[in-house]
Amino acid sequence: MKKIAVFGYNRLSYEAISRLDIGTHDILIIETDESLAAIAREKGFQTAAIDFRSDQDLKSIGIGKNVDIIFCFLPEDSKNVFLTISARAIDKDVDIIAIVEDPQSDEKLIAAGANKIIDPYQICGQKIHELIKKPDITNIMDHTVFGRHDLHMAEITIPEHSYLENTYTSELTLNEKHNLVLIGVVDKELDEQLHFAIGEKDHKLDAGDIMVVLGPSREIRAFKKEVSHVSTDKI
Amino acid sequence: MLARTLVYFAYLLKTSEHYTQTKRFFYNLIENPQSRMKSYFDIFMVCLVMLSVFFLVYNVEHALTETGEFFEQFVVVVFIVEYLLRAWLYSDSHRIIIEEYEKAKYLNTRFSLFKSLRRIIGKKFEYMLSLFAIIDLLAILPSYRPLRILRILLIFRLFKLFRYSNSIKVFADILSSKRFELITLAIFMGILVFISSLAIYLFENDSIGGNVRDLYDAFYWSIVTLSTVGYGDITPITIGGRLVTVTLILTGLGVLSFFTSIIVAAFNDKMYTLRENRTYAELSRYKNFIIICGFGRVGQEIAKLFEIDKQPFIVIDKDENNVFLAKQKQYLSIQDDASKNTVLINAGINRGATAILCTTGNDVTNVYVTLTSRYLNPDISIISRANRQDNVNKLYQAGANNVIQPFEIAGLLAAEYVGQPVAFEAILGILQNQKQILMETLTVQPGSLLENKQIGELDFEKRKLTLVGVISSNKKHLKHPNRYKLKNQHFYFNPQKQFELQEQDIVVVLGREYTIEHFQDQIEKSRLAPGK
Repeated sequence: MKKIAVFGYNRLSYEAISRLDIGTHDILIIETDESLAAIAREKGFQTAAIDFRSDQDLKSIGIGKNVDIIFCFLPEDSKNVFLTISARAIDKDVDIIAIVEDPQSDEKLIAAGANKIIDPYQICGQKIHELIKKPDITNIMDHTVFGRHDLHMAEITIPEHSYLENTYTSELTLNEKHNLVLIGVVDKELDEQLHFAIGEKDHKLDAGDIMVVLGPSREIRAFKKEVSHVSTDKI
Repeated sequence: MLARTLVYFAYLLKTSEHYTQTKRFFYNLIENPQSRMKSYFDIFMVCLVMLSVFFLVYNVEHALTETGEFFEQFVVVVFIVEYLLRAWLYSDSHRIIIEEYEKAKYLNTRFSLFKSLRRIIGKKFEYMLSLFAIIDLLAILPSYRPLRILRILLIFRLFKLFRYSNSIKVFADILSSKRFELITLAIFMGILVFISSLAIYLFENDSIGGNVRDLYDAFYWSIVTLSTVGYGDITPITIGGRLVTVTLILTGLGVLSFFTSIIVAAFNDKMYTLRENRTYAELSRYKNFIIICGFGRVGQEIAKLFEIDKQPFIVIDKDENNVFLAKQKQYLSIQDDASKNTVLINAGINRGATAILCTTGNDVTNVYVTLTSRYLNPDISIISRANRQDNVNKLYQAGANNVIQPFEIAGLLAAEYVGQPVAFEAILGILQNQKQILMETLTVQPGSLLENKQIGELDFEKRKLTLVGVISSNKKHLKHPNRYKLKNQHFYFNPQKQFELQEQDIVVVLGREYTIEHFQDQIEKSRLAPGK
């Protein structure tokens, strides 16, 4: 169960958390505006009204203890920076995702310790640009990965003693056997980067490596199950 | 009887395709400010004028050669033809006749030929009395050498040059916009000059020993002093005269600065319109461009990306700060309300725009601009930004082809990042072309190496490409599994080995930019290869 602290209840936070699986994520919304907090509670989320400027308050909701992810979605960049610095100081490992309003605040947030910056305007601009330049691809992405149809991109971590251990990517026949397309691999032997599966390098899959596949969710689930099946015939 | 033939002739001209085409051709050549031909014509005329003036100036000191004479005749002929053409283009006489005739029929009065002719001639006279027409006429008069005064007409040839440049129109506009102030100033100056001329004549005329011989000298001196030029050819020596001079100089300074400030103010006002015109003129050179309505954050991001792609575009924004930003980055921009029909028409929504993007932060504006754009151009692609979920449908109803919600996508990406960080990076990387890995489409061209080939035959792995799927509207494929419906096509994910590619199918692959390019080249070459 991952605990997520969301600072600021607005369009963005709503869109983000409504896509998260409530079964595997424990979401807490921090919003000092009572009317917004009420809306959040109506939708079934837990709320708290702490002051993000106080380290005491931050610790009281679990930062430093059990909060795994922090969403800094406050309306002003300066507040997000402050929150990031505070949170990072309390917990060196927590995952901090921040929204940014002014593109120049990008670097400040990274310097403050954020792991990921989301610039909705930049993303929107890029999306529109994609739409114009590559309407077909964008259409596909929209209908499948981003949307309503069943195709999804998923990541699968190879567990210990999986039957895939010590297999080479070229030996996998995901297309035929599992109706999945292998997009890329994170080969921990090399680095933490995602290597796209374009036949350039043959990767040896070990426990802990991550595969990114594209396919129908049913097949993904089936494959995940199969992968975690401990192999008994490898000595 | 004559009336009847004339009316018949007028109707004949109205319906004659040939006549309209010829007239339009000459209009484009001589008068149409937006036609390319006119620029060439203007340049030709300017050269002609300069050359003829050069010859005439040369003729002042030397005798004219054969070629000179011939050239002069040629120039005069050209000028006459131009004059007549302009007179012809000025008004449509046949239209006047038809108007009068139909009016007479409608009111049941007698068609008066005399009245129509009077109107026609009146119109042509209007043309002839216009400033430029008079200049043209005077420019036509060849310089008759014995009569030296006619050399002045040389100057009129040069005035003709102004006709071919926009600058005089702009200048005249500017002056006329401040004519009230200028006339007031002129009257004041006139009185001042009158008083000072008289005064200086009385004080400094040569019967007393001064330099001023007559009133004309006095007038000449007044102007020279008032304008602070002061040649020094006529100088005051009496005390009275010097007093007048001092007063005139001080007043002159005032008048001059007043005059300057009027012109500066006029220019300032005009500068804005001037810049707009320049933007529109530049825009008319683009063939396929995109209109961005709203230069907020989203608009700025898109403009940045277009700049990298070298995709021409124009920015329209109501806010002057945003337009200032755009101009600083050398983007073509207009400060105006994009929901006005005229603004969009001027921006070329019907003349070469391939898409229009409504990217303001205000949904009401976006809906309105979408509606207006759809109304003006039923075929253009409209992409709009929606800030609230409830307005998405309204935008589609208003006619948008695609609606993007910035916060929805951002929220989605945030959720993906939390749930599946590696997959998230993959999607982002592909979408943003960050790592030179692209998802690209390859169309199966007729006659290419892809046509009628089965997936199993094409070794994508060897080509270092990953096959994701095939987009097709071809009914032949309907029996294949993994079919997902797109707008009016199907996307076949992970097609089987037996899937046979048909013409116009689109293959979706993942790979490096140059690998894909290389493959595309091979497809092209196979298409053109003979003996297939």
